[in-house]
Amino acid sequence: MSGAVVRAAGLSKRFGPLAALQPLDLTLAPGETLALLGPNGAGKTTLLRLLAGLARPSAGALAIGAEGASGPARRGAVGLVAHATFLYAQLTARENLVLTAKLYGVAQPAARAAALIAAHELTPVAERAVGELSRGWAQRVSIARALVHEPRLLLLDEPFSGLDPGAAERLAERLAAQRGGERAAVLVTHELARAVQLATRALVLVRGRARELAAAALASPAALEAAYRDAVAALEAAR
Amino acid sequence: MSALLAVLWKDLAIEWRSRDRFAAMLVFSLLVVLVLYFAAPPSLDASRNAHVPGLLWVAYVFAGVLGMNRAFAAELENDALSALALAPADRGFLFLGKAAASFLVLAAVQALGAVFFALAFSLELWPVAPQLALVAGLGGLGIACAGTLLAAISVRTRYREVMLPLLLLPLLVPVLLGAVRATTQLLATGSLPWPPLQLLIVADAVYAIVAFLCFEYVLDE
Repeated sequence: MSGAVVRAAGLSKRFGPLAALQPLDLTLAPGETLALLGPNGAGKTTLLRLLAGLARPSAGALAIGAEGASGPARRGAVGLVAHATFLYAQLTARENLVLTAKLYGVAQPAARAAALIAAHELTPVAERAVGELSRGWAQRVSIARALVHEPRLLLLDEPFSGLDPGAAERLAERLAAQRGGERAAVLVTHELARAVQLATRALVLVRGRARELAAAALASPAALEAAYRDAVAALEAAR
Repeated sequence: MSALLAVLWKDLAIEWRSRDRFAAMLVFSLLVVLVLYFAAPPSLDASRNAHVPGLLWVAYVFAGVLGMNRAFAAELENDALSALALAPADRGFLFLGKAAASFLVLAAVQALGAVFFALAFSLELWPVAPQLALVAGLGGLGIACAGTLLAAISVRTRYREVMLPLLLLPLLVPVLLGAVRATTQLLATGSLPWPPLQLLIVADAVYAIVAFLCFEYVLDE
């Protein structure tokens, strides 16, 4: 698809004899949010690491961002929120954001960091070392860090973990507001209600095998749960 | 270039706030001086003190290896190393930033280590301080360049604390040869010989260029 943010064909990953991800074809257009669902050990994080460029595929082709983008240009198109916060514990929240902005070549790093601190309501902890922050605050700084360079592809690995209900709702609102823009997103979550709230598509992974759910599955949490169970059963039976 | 300065600032800021690498290297080099003092005490006969420059560089190299082992410690916490790998900056400049920070920390340890040595072995280092600083700087540059590359390679391995010295020490032989010969002649004659300096400069250039080019691949999975 021309203009797609993600174009994957036959993408797979093996760790020795273990097939962590079976060959997968995937295209993500701007504005789309893909919910990645599946039980533990299904290969969700492996797929996310492949998309981020942190792991090399064993086979298949993967293009992110502009046509033919590779190396630094490809890396610059991706923002990743992972289980680890990617933050330096000894630096303050503001310093972490400024550092990231500099590493990503953002013009006026200090101004960009200040804008993110305001937008993500990080002012109370902006001058505190990240090592002193609670998991929830660190997660919020980590999310701001991933957005510092306005990535075309945002990868979120259980971004709501550690957030209090209010912060989780505000994050969900921010992510929902970005739907339909130039950015595409992949959201790994076990919360089906969040997937319904944020995603435009859903992909179920079981032991490295993937199946995309019909659009109707995202109509309600109950519909998604039913479709998810069917997909898991079908993928288990196909082994 | 801004990535180089950003990484340099980040490493120095973290070091300034924690001081764990500098303190560990300094205490270690002090202990090495003490051990060497008792193992090979200074003699009244100057000719029998020819081994002292070698001992000085033993302290520098081991302190350097210790420091290199800690160079990526902050990157492991919260998996910041992955964030560094994801940055679109030229990774060669990320290497230069980290190597420059390690070089500066090592230089500070070298300066204080030289003072320990001068006191323990009754050396007159002050008259040759500028030349000694040049030799120490060239040697430290080699340790920082080769050490940063190998620390980045070994940091993701299970036995990284053992792996780094096993990889680094053999690679530092040219640096040690050049630095010890230059320091020996400097302390004996008061002047710097050119051939050992040439060896140091060539070794530094090779390590820096190879590491700059290889860092793109080292940070990958």
